[in-house]
Amino acid sequence: MKFERLSKYKYRIPRSGRMRVDADFYASDEILAALEAESYASLQQLANVATLPGIVEPALTMPDIHWGYGFPIGGVAAFDPAQGGVVSPGGVGFDINCGVRLLTSELVQSDLEPVRARLADALYREIPSGVGAGRKDVRFTRSDLEKVLQDGASRLVESGYGEAEDPDNIESRGRLAGADPEAVSSRAYERGLSQLGTLGSGNHFLEVQYVDSIYDQEAATAYGLREGQITVLIHSGSRGLGHQVCQDYVERFLSAAPRYGIELVDRQLAAAPIQSSEGRAYLGAMAAAANYAFANRQLMTHFTREAFASVGLISRRGEMRVLYDLAHNNAKLEEHGGRGLLVHRKGATRAFGPGNPDVPEQYRAAGQPVLVPGDMGRYSFVLAGTEGSMRETFGSSAHGAGRRLSRNQAKKLARERNLVKELESQGILIRAAGRATVDEEMPEAYKDVADVVEVTHGAGIGRKVARLRPLIVVKG
Amino acid sequence: MIRMLDHTADVGFEVGGGSLEELFDEARRALLMIYFERPPESGSDRRRVELSAPDLEALLVRWLNELVHLVQDEGFVPVRAQIALPELPEERALDAKLTGAPLDLESYGWQGEVKSATFHGLCVRREAGGWRAQVILDV
Repeated sequence: MKFERLSKYKYRIPRSGRMRVDADFYASDEILAALEAESYASLQQLANVATLPGIVEPALTMPDIHWGYGFPIGGVAAFDPAQGGVVSPGGVGFDINCGVRLLTSELVQSDLEPVRARLADALYREIPSGVGAGRKDVRFTRSDLEKVLQDGASRLVESGYGEAEDPDNIESRGRLAGADPEAVSSRAYERGLSQLGTLGSGNHFLEVQYVDSIYDQEAATAYGLREGQITVLIHSGSRGLGHQVCQDYVERFLSAAPRYGIELVDRQLAAAPIQSSEGRAYLGAMAAAANYAFANRQLMTHFTREAFASVGLISRRGEMRVLYDLAHNNAKLEEHGGRGLLVHRKGATRAFGPGNPDVPEQYRAAGQPVLVPGDMGRYSFVLAGTEGSMRETFGSSAHGAGRRLSRNQAKKLARERNLVKELESQGILIRAAGRATVDEEMPEAYKDVADVVEVTHGAGIGRKVARLRPLIVVKG
Repeated sequence: MIRMLDHTADVGFEVGGGSLEELFDEARRALLMIYFERPPESGSDRRRVELSAPDLEALLVRWLNELVHLVQDEGFVPVRAQIALPELPEERALDAKLTGAPLDLESYGWQGEVKSATFHGLCVRREAGGWRAQVILDV
């Protein structure tokens, strides 16, 4: 794999072979060594993305780059609809609009201490993983679900599952325009009906945290963050509904691609022109699944507030505020450099800079909040979008730590240990459906998210604002 | 033959079988190994799965995704399968009679959800003595 260093943290794979554009990636020496250790498989995936029609220079990956299936994780690719640009369901991923939502409270650590174990139990009860059985306390009909697919988070707020101001602080106000509930298959509806308000498993989690460091006081004040404050971070997506939409359309696009003369170097990159009937249908279904994901995180927000109230920590639901809700698997029409482009982000977050009208007004001077979760033992970060991210990465930034060990390697390492006890001795309470999920997700399985954040900050595509440390972790 | 692949972010497996039917059944077994530490060995519930796809690789993805749906959404764990793969003129088809057990997260040692089988790195090929396939799954 040939690449050149452009600056301290930025590298370029020059266009060659079937690549249509250059591909840029961000890395520290450590991240570069990790890429070499996997024989540059993720960089090859990045180069593959650069072969897709209508891609706008450059194809990109963020500092949390790692090996995916089709697109690399951390991938950002913008396509111009006017130049035959394509949309790729595999480039969005199976967990459409998977993302993280950060809630803030007026509480501090000492408020939590007397009821911490009870709160952990309440959260585990209120936020089911959704496998085998869905929520029994909330039932949705197919017609309810159609409305959710159309309207996203606000539909649930209107039904009493949230505060009126919640959608103000969600990316795209918790609703992607152009959703077409009819472009979603019956199987996807079936899978989505029982799973609304459920967490899922794998790397999904709900975490109660405290703010342990502030790096940028001005932005922290704008975001309403202060040292010692209790926060809650929820990571989940569009559950079986989103997975099914992706499956349905990858298959459809595999047969459509040859009709549009699109040669695929990887079948998971199956793509069709944005302006084709297939492209439009997928974007309608994808927006519907994205709205489901926003609604899913909204329902879990409601039940998080219920759990906090049940142990007497809050008396009004509004005492826990949505700081921001940010997705990291989608394709969105945005304006960049005066052109309307479809920006795919696969394991990458939107990170709009200061002054952008799509950033909530109270955050606009600071830049959009960027939420970067780490592992369950260390910390997560809040960053701010910058002018650099607008200039270099189509307004995008990193979305997490990235795995270092495979699930099998992690399980082998954890076999002789009791991770739940280890973490408890570090002051972190774990509630999980099974031992395997905890073992696979052990802190050592992940890279240190601080390294990803240093590169992001150092490269100017995000600005460090605050660090959050876990106190309770709920896993599916 | 089942060999688990060490993909950093996701999971994958390589399977082999003397016939295509055996290959598809090994893929089912590999999926259960991903789901459970101790997959169930008996069951009395029954299901029938009929699928078709343009080629063998797409059929394998569909088969695994159908099993994902049965396990995760319907709580049916396919313990045994009688698989037929009739050759049709323009597509590949699968007809499977499944025997299974109800999903029990604790007893079987649940290891987490599977989002989907993917087309990345996917291959189904004939080789001396039978068939071999490789699949990466998003988990």
